[in-house]
Amino acid sequence: MAGQKAQGAGRKAQGKEQGAGREARGNEEGTRVKGRGDAGPSQSPAPCASSLAPSPLAPCTLRPAPCRIGVFVCDCGSNIAATVDVPAVVEDARKQAGVVHAEEGKWICSVDFLSRIQNAVKEQKLDRVVVACCTPRTHEPTFKATVKEAGLNPFLLEFVSIREQSSWVHKFDRPEATRVAKDLVKMGIAKARLLEPAECVRIPVGKEALVIGGGVSGMSAAVGLAEQGIKVVLVEKTDRLGGLLNGLDMLAPHTHSAEKLVSDLEQKVKGNPQIRLFLSTQVEDIKGYVGNYKVRISGQAEPFTISTIIAATGMEELRPSGFNYGAVPTVMTLLEFERKLKTGWNPGDVAFIGCVESRNEKRGCCNVGCMAGLQAASAVRTGFPQNKVGYFYPEISLEGTGVAAFEDAVRRHGLKLFRFADDAYPTVEKGAAGLIVTARDILSGPEVRFPANTVVLITGYKGTEEAPKLKGLLKVSSDNDGFFQEAHIKLRPLDFAAEGVYLCGCARSPKDVRTSIEEGMGAAMRALIPMNKGHVESEGIVSVIDLGNCSKCGLCAKVCPYNAIELVDKAPDVIQAICKGCGTCAAECPKDCIQIIHFTDEQIGAQVEEALKEDPGQKIVAFCCHWCALGAVDMAGVNRSEYPPNVRIIRVMCSGRVDAAWVRRALELKAAAVLIMGCEFPTCHYIDGNYKAEKRVERMIKSLGKKGLPADRIRTVWLSAADGPKFVATMKALAEELEL
Amino acid sequence: MLVVGGGIAGISVALNLAEYGAPVYLVDDTPSIGGLMARLDKTFPTNDCSICIQAPMMYEVKKKQNITLLTNTEVRRVEGSAPDFKVRLVQKPRFVDESKCKGCGKCAEACPVTVQDELDGRIGGKRKLVSIPFPQAVPNTYVVDNACRFGKKRADGACIGSCVVDCSQCRECQIAKCVVACRKEGAEAVLLWQKERIIDVRVRSIVIATGVDSYRPPEGPYGYGVFQNVLTNYQFERLMNAGGPMVGNIARPSDGKHPHRIAWIQCVGREAGAPVKYCSKVCCMIATKQSIIAKEHDPSVDAVILYNNLKAYGKGFYTFFRRAQEHGVRYVKGRPADVFENPETKALTIVFEDLDKGKVEELEVDILVLSTGLVPGTRTAKIAKALKLPLDEHGFIKEKDPICKPLETAVKGIYVCGGAGGPIDISESVSQAAAVSLKAISGGD
Ligand SMILES: Cc1cc2nc3c(=O)[nH]c(=O)nc-3n(C[C@H](O)[C@H](O)[C@H](O)COP(=O)(O)OP(=O)(O)OC[C@H]3O[C@@H](n4cnc5c(N)ncnc54)[C@H](O)[C@@H]3O)c2cc1C
Ligand SMILES: Cc1cc2nc3c(=O)[nH]c(=O)nc-3n(C[C@H](O)[C@H](O)[C@H](O)COP(=O)(O)OP(=O)(O)OC[C@H]3O[C@@H](n4cnc5c(N)ncnc54)[C@H](O)[C@@H]3O)c2cc1C
Ligand code: SF4
Ligand code: SF4
Ligand code: SF4
Ligand code: SF4
Repeated sequence: MAGQKAQGAGRKAQGKEQGAGREARGNEEGTRVKGRGDAGPSQSPAPCASSLAPSPLAPCTLRPAPCRIGVFVCDCGSNIAATVDVPAVVEDARKQAGVVHAEEGKWICSVDFLSRIQNAVKEQKLDRVVVACCTPRTHEPTFKATVKEAGLNPFLLEFVSIREQSSWVHKFDRPEATRVAKDLVKMGIAKARLLEPAECVRIPVGKEALVIGGGVSGMSAAVGLAEQGIKVVLVEKTDRLGGLLNGLDMLAPHTHSAEKLVSDLEQKVKGNPQIRLFLSTQVEDIKGYVGNYKVRISGQAEPFTISTIIAATGMEELRPSGFNYGAVPTVMTLLEFERKLKTGWNPGDVAFIGCVESRNEKRGCCNVGCMAGLQAASAVRTGFPQNKVGYFYPEISLEGTGVAAFEDAVRRHGLKLFRFADDAYPTVEKGAAGLIVTARDILSGPEVRFPANTVVLITGYKGTEEAPKLKGLLKVSSDNDGFFQEAHIKLRPLDFAAEGVYLCGCARSPKDVRTSIEEGMGAAMRALIPMNKGHVESEGIVSVIDLGNCSKCGLCAKVCPYNAIELVDKAPDVIQAICKGCGTCAAECPKDCIQIIHFTDEQIGAQVEEALKEDPGQKIVAFCCHWCALGAVDMAGVNRSEYPPNVRIIRVMCSGRVDAAWVRRALELKAAAVLIMGCEFPTCHYIDGNYKAEKRVERMIKSLGKKGLPADRIRTVWLSAADGPKFVATMKALAEELEL
Repeated sequence: MLVVGGGIAGISVALNLAEYGAPVYLVDDTPSIGGLMARLDKTFPTNDCSICIQAPMMYEVKKKQNITLLTNTEVRRVEGSAPDFKVRLVQKPRFVDESKCKGCGKCAEACPVTVQDELDGRIGGKRKLVSIPFPQAVPNTYVVDNACRFGKKRADGACIGSCVVDCSQCRECQIAKCVVACRKEGAEAVLLWQKERIIDVRVRSIVIATGVDSYRPPEGPYGYGVFQNVLTNYQFERLMNAGGPMVGNIARPSDGKHPHRIAWIQCVGREAGAPVKYCSKVCCMIATKQSIIAKEHDPSVDAVILYNNLKAYGKGFYTFFRRAQEHGVRYVKGRPADVFENPETKALTIVFEDLDKGKVEELEVDILVLSTGLVPGTRTAKIAKALKLPLDEHGFIKEKDPICKPLETAVKGIYVCGGAGGPIDISESVSQAAAVSLKAISGGD
């Protein structure tokens, strides 16, 4: 325990480097190693800097030291200026406390205007910049880079969207469009006053990887990494490499020898001095996080220090029920059959039955059974041409271009194919001379009775036996069958949600050899990225915990989708470098101990107060996630769809950040409604923040209702980035319902 | 490194390589990256909205310092061998300056000519002669239809129809409304006189990610091209897409009315004698997805999928199929024989053999969707020729050894991933992209 603490402290001391967000990459001279307590930026005098300690949602007041805010409002040619009275917006901005410079620009993203902004920063000693123009989704990087070049921390920039959120959507109402733009700009200024410089937080990542499982996928991953100079610890629980392939002979669809494939890969593993192979070994314990795992394996006293981990633990056959399996020894699973066949055994006449334990309410297509089964059936016909082979199946799943030739070959082998209905599996009974398989063939109609000496059940699969244990050690999830769950099934198939752990091959889901090898290499590439860079870093929008009020409930650690919060003696500690800044921990914390940099309760609170300063009863305060929901808002803009000018959008990174206190404050200030806008299910850019938001809103409605607030005015809308029309419809409906 | 093709596969390769620390050229011959996925509505097996999950990656490409993004660009010629390829790229003019265009659309507003969008034409997609490929396009830059120059669109009312000067000779157009509108905005981004640009680069390895095309069936069979309400799955996808030409209102092309009965015929293009000789593997899930979405739009829609073998091969696919069944989608093992149209109602009657029941049945529907497969892109053949890469018997880029050395082409240092190597779904494209990135940095086999 003591050792662990010391190590934790070491990370804190070395783990934080000051830089400035992503843009810092590639230009590292400016970064500095800093201790945690030391937060100020080196460039900016930060007169407004405050502690990151949580503060109650107090009405926004100017910080003790005056800010020097510069506001730049864009005409976007006539895109904004034709609708919004830009000079009036500029004048209004100029009157706001802290604003020392306000200016209109025809195209503020043009190269000449960007240098104008930089000059203003330097000459007027601006310490905060507000730009009011198009959308942060496309233009924020440009302006961040600009202020950074002028010597300002990029997190001291606030982006206000008046084109997409006003001029493009309120085209026919110049006064209202101007009013909306003024409000949005003032909300931006209110937040800007409270902005703090943020640092890009890094932790170092070394060049040592652990690969669990020595099947083809694990071997491919290990070799891929080792060839890039990574030290690999490869752990295999059995006494040999090769996994499932050890039981197989010829592989479909290209009739490749399984043995040869394994021995080729094995040679590469054993011939590479970077790989330390541990056979008949299990992983006993894993502690830590990316760049700093301590892994204990059986038979080794000292733990290994590991930077990244790849799970390549493959799959196992399920145990079939029914079909006289277990009762009659000549009824066997495909893998059992393959192993026996490899010894030269003559199985006699064989009946294959497809999709056993698969394609039912519990699990799907096993993905390899048809190919493997047909291969085995063909092998019987090749080895023993006199034997009859009956192949019973409900569905044949052979897909892709690779199998076309294989299908032809199978056809030539003279198998007797019988297709049974999904809900009418064949029966297997003992007959006089052996076994009888009976089924109705839906292709020809009648009932078929097929006598066989051996019955092969093409059985479905499950993840490795140790999946439950590994799942706990790696802090990842798996499905009911013990197959590990990737971060995103389409766009992050080989990553776990938490950084530094990856998965591949049949440990993910059943698949053929080729894909297993591909995934092994792919997982190696994913793991290589942080190891080659030498660090992982977060972009500055991260969580900060003040333990002062903490009751050690551990809720924050539980809700974090990225395992970025560690509990040390029950006290939460954020590993900021792997925090993605979704803010769900902050919203969850019952004691308000957690703040998210750039989206603090205080900053958002200031926006709420500002939005509702005038005519609150006419205004809908919308907390909108940066991704799909803002995408839909932007799309409504691009489409020039008109909607009522009542909404004031406050951007958060994820709907999961939305705190009950903000909603309460907006209702207390008599907002017409509060709208929480997030990504449409099941998409969420932070795994499941929207699901958490949905639940939290339900709770909010109950609890705020009890406090006598009009909880029926709390609404949600879940949008895809293509849901511009739905957003517009929602705004129209709300305005009508609330009679705005 | 050079990555050819900016679909999900190429984007993933570029991001992997850039994050690893390798400089990348990402080349696409269309005006925006995104590929097929940018045109889809939702994506199986979870029904994530396609552009929602893809657009952030597209912006990331734009943001990454070590990615040079070249759209509207073709690979003309490749010389040398690994690890030193000399590649000649040709950037075709888009007639709009990428660095000056603000994406404001004033040029399109001014343009007098509206034409049918090639991709969405049959279902009502329209665009101006100067347009943006789709709202989330990267780069977010308009593009002038090549056909508009030299007065070629005069008959359609194009504003430069009467000009006698060759556009490439002129710098100060006063006639073209797009040029004038843009100039009035102060951006001066529309340049009808833009010329093609030749870019020579030297790279260590090349990744081909030129993707797939959706098969276009011949006119006639199943009434495709003859009956208005017969669509391909790609067209139906565009029809459903909230960001598509119909803003997600599923409507019958013949009368714009809401359909109550929709059927899908699977494996179109694989009939005896038809050109597709393999299973494209995604079409079963595409139909499943489309039927679920149709049901979500309107639970009372009768959705029927006529199939032979249902391919639910990938992770989560079977659960997805069961979800469709729970929504009441009917899966019928059927062999379609013929399709008729009622000339008055424009409804379609499908005659098919029900395999489970063993008899011939008829089904009347409002929309018939032909589930066509994925075929090699015509532009893939072109690039294969330029790079001297052999194709397999179906026209996809051939791999040297599909089991032991997947993703390696016959030429050392040139790799393939995604749809360019064969039919594939998004998830597999992304996995392959990661694997191929490792190949590209290790440079060999
Ligand atoms: C009967 C059958 C026939 C097949 N036929 C074909 C075919 O013809 N063509 C084809 O392309 N594919 C075929 N396949 C699929 C092919 O076998 C797999 O794609 C491939 O073997 C998967 O490799 P893998 O490394 O992901 O998993 P595995 O081969 O399962 O390897 C996983 C390894 O991890 C080890 N392991 C598990 N848990 C732990 C742990 N906790 N600690 C340490 N080590 C652990 C296991 O012992 C094993 O060695 C067939 C599969 C079966 C079952
Ligand atoms: C109707 C339909 C629905 C689908 N639905 C789903 C779904 O729900 N879920 C799912 O997982 N999959 C789905 N798919 C499959 C999915 O679209 C593909 O798996 C995926 O798009 C393949 O990505 P890719 O990058 O390989 O190719 P593509 O998306 O085709 O991209 C290729 C890119 O390369 C460019 N290019 C081509 N040739 C050249 C050249 N010579 N030079 C330069 N650039 C070139 C193209 O312009 C394009 O941008 C669907 C497919 C269709 C047709
Ligand atoms: S694109 Fe944005 S920053 Fe550029 S001119 Fe238009 S509104 Fe201003
Ligand atoms: S929940 Fe989100 S904000 Fe909190 S620590 Fe985890 S990733 Fe960071
Ligand atoms: S020249 Fe005229 S017709 Fe052609 S794109 Fe420009 S505005 Fe349209
Ligand atoms: S670009 Fe030049 S040549 Fe072309 S229409 Fe305009 S003025 Fe005429």
